[in-house]
Amino acid sequence: MKMLSFVSTLFTCLFIFGGAHRALADSCVTTTCHSAIAAFKKPHEPVKGGECSSCHTQRGKEHPVKGAKSFELAAKGAALCANCHAGMGAKKFQHAPVKEGDCVSCHKPHGSNERYLLEVGEDRTALCLNCHDPASFKEKYMHGPAAVGACNDCHEAHESSEKKLLKGSVREVCLKCHADFGAAMKESAFVHPPVRDSACTACHKPHGSPYSMFLNNKMPDVCTGCHKPIGVHMAKVKVPHKPLLDKAGCANCHSAHYSKAKMLLAADEMTVCLTCHGRDLGALKNVKKQIEGKKYLHGPLQQGKCSACHNPHGSDSFRMLPGPYPAELYAPYKEGAYDGCLKCHEKNLLRFADTTVYTGFRNGNRNLHFVHVASRKGRTCRLCHEPHASTGEKLISKEGSKFGDWKIPINFKITPTGGSCAPGCHREFKYDRNKPESYQ
Amino acid sequence: MFRSAIALATRNRKSIFAILLALSISGCAAPVVKQEAVFFPAPPNPPRIQYLMGISSSGDIEEKNDKFSLLTGKEDSQNRAINKPYGITTHQGKIYVCDIGVGNVVVIDPVKKSFEYLKGNYNIGKLKKPANIAVDPDGNLYVADALRKEIVVYNVKGEYIRAFGKADDMKPADVAVDGESVYVLDINKKNNEIKIFDLKSGTVTGRLGKRTQEENQGLAMPTNFALDDKGFIYATNAGTGSVTKYDKDGHLLLSFGDFGDVVGKFSRPKGIAVDHLGRIYVVDGGNQNVQIFSDKGRILTFFGDPGLMRGSLNLPVGIAVTRDNLEFYQKMAEPGFALEAVIMVTNQFGRDKISVYGLGQMKGRENEAGPDRPIPGQDPKPKQSVQPEPGK
Repeated sequence: MKMLSFVSTLFTCLFIFGGAHRALADSCVTTTCHSAIAAFKKPHEPVKGGECSSCHTQRGKEHPVKGAKSFELAAKGAALCANCHAGMGAKKFQHAPVKEGDCVSCHKPHGSNERYLLEVGEDRTALCLNCHDPASFKEKYMHGPAAVGACNDCHEAHESSEKKLLKGSVREVCLKCHADFGAAMKESAFVHPPVRDSACTACHKPHGSPYSMFLNNKMPDVCTGCHKPIGVHMAKVKVPHKPLLDKAGCANCHSAHYSKAKMLLAADEMTVCLTCHGRDLGALKNVKKQIEGKKYLHGPLQQGKCSACHNPHGSDSFRMLPGPYPAELYAPYKEGAYDGCLKCHEKNLLRFADTTVYTGFRNGNRNLHFVHVASRKGRTCRLCHEPHASTGEKLISKEGSKFGDWKIPINFKITPTGGSCAPGCHREFKYDRNKPESYQ
Repeated sequence: MFRSAIALATRNRKSIFAILLALSISGCAAPVVKQEAVFFPAPPNPPRIQYLMGISSSGDIEEKNDKFSLLTGKEDSQNRAINKPYGITTHQGKIYVCDIGVGNVVVIDPVKKSFEYLKGNYNIGKLKKPANIAVDPDGNLYVADALRKEIVVYNVKGEYIRAFGKADDMKPADVAVDGESVYVLDINKKNNEIKIFDLKSGTVTGRLGKRTQEENQGLAMPTNFALDDKGFIYATNAGTGSVTKYDKDGHLLLSFGDFGDVVGKFSRPKGIAVDHLGRIYVVDGGNQNVQIFSDKGRILTFFGDPGLMRGSLNLPVGIAVTRDNLEFYQKMAEPGFALEAVIMVTNQFGRDKISVYGLGQMKGRENEAGPDRPIPGQDPKPKQSVQPEPGK
């Protein structure tokens, strides 16, 4: 009998307490009390189970009490959430609200119409920009994920072992999407050191910037920030290379990330140059046409080195030459005036009226280069020599030299000890190094 | 035991005397102490020149023999000395030194450890006042004899062949060979020029460097000259305290230096040499040092000033720079000091008649300022630079 009585008491208690719990939830969310909680599409799990008391503890017997609280939270801040959502705070970097235990600054405690008890859906812009500076999200050029508010594609919401709560190192995070880039980089012979060794953010803004490709700075400043000497050079040259001044800047010739060619050029040097200088493009001369099929190429061009004579970043000299060279067709030789050519060619070529050392173009010891260039009507090199290529020796073209609209003939011939010219300039003259000709 | 020892000693009295004598002699020998390396410039500058050795006699070169005489206390009586050296040159590892004091030429091969006097220096080949010497690619020697007033030529074996230039009324002070030409510095007061002789015929084919009223860029009391590997001519001028560079046609290309006893200036510029990189070495008999200049005439460094126990120059005159037998000289260099050239300077007085230095760099200190880099605080421009007007 006693046993029967104990079992019935036990069942009664279970009924009372179990029923009381359900009864409490039922009584919390009614049409008149806390009704909004019932409206969430995605209620917090305890709400869904009616387990209000897992978070709220009744303090006073009466509820509701006007002007007073009769319930209090079971714990304060993150400690309350940690009862179920344990494990936060183990990583090096925490999101500030996480650190402060302010979970509800992002999450709605009872429920939401979106996932993760957030007020926003996949576009987190509105939520994140509640706290974060919106400036970089309103730029002209936006990174895709930032543009659509996919903040959590790159950033962890709570904590991370990487700075900026990134989901990995900057490179890992970037290459997670830009996988094709990573694959191509591995196959490239030359990789830009910041791309190889630094974070992508060395050059790019991760969210957005006023510059194309959301660069940190405009072209070419983004490049010259590191390549300072080139920046200084470009800023002061009198004859700039025009592509450097347009929007694409350095990227007109260089690949910013990786390349199969030296100097991160888009292709080998001559190919890159001939991209523009190999077609009829406004005032630009078609150099491709000038060298095609020619037997004699200027030494540097034989090695595909346009940069030996033209500084691709500009220079103070005519045609971006590496040293002075007269822009005028006639310019008497002066010390330094022809250094653009004499940087490689014999520097004393035009200094002395007589020589046995500096040129083979002489009649006896009389320096005929001096005669042509150092006289009052100094004839610049290009009046006789082609700068790029020619059909004849010594870069003197058989068909003559450009002289306005006329191809002025030169008719240059070479003999073992001298040669002759019969140009459009004067009658035929011979010269001989050993037995000088008389011009009387 | 003791008795038996005495008995043994009595039997071998002569042997014991010999042993005691040997012991006493060996006791006299000074212990060999490794001498501290002498570097220029002095620390804490990165070392660029090391004093390697001095040569004054055959004893410094030849294998040491055991002709030590107990009676005279002198070493090998065959030891031959250099008396008063002047010009010096090198060819295929051999060193040729003009001993102006006794009218001789000494031929030294340090690798083969030979030290010879010029074989043909007698009779018609006898030298009187040999100032400088040059060697052609075949090994023939051309000696500028200031008293014979001609160039005396010897073959590769040192035998006299011929002499030329007597008819040209010159006082030859220096000589160099380039291809088919023999360049001779003629310091006869009337001339003061460099004459160019045809190597085969010995006739004058050209002259250069004469200072005239119209041409003030010529030589001024020249003392020595050198050719570089491109055939340019570098001369020292005691009259202006300067170095001048000319091309083969006599055009002045470069001029630097002035009178003074500070770096970059000269008191009595004498011997001159140019190395494989175009660096110019100038001996100063007054300041008693050697200064090294860049190919543009910019001072790089200097060495050999008086005051050191070893490595100082003493009335230096001639100089030669060579890259022959670098491995041989490398053994004398301090560990880690890699030689790129060897510099030989003749001294008219002092212990070393030839001072041998190595130009090089100490491993790990290559990137610090040195001879091919500017000295901090030094004016990077040459003191005096002449650029002739075109046409002159």
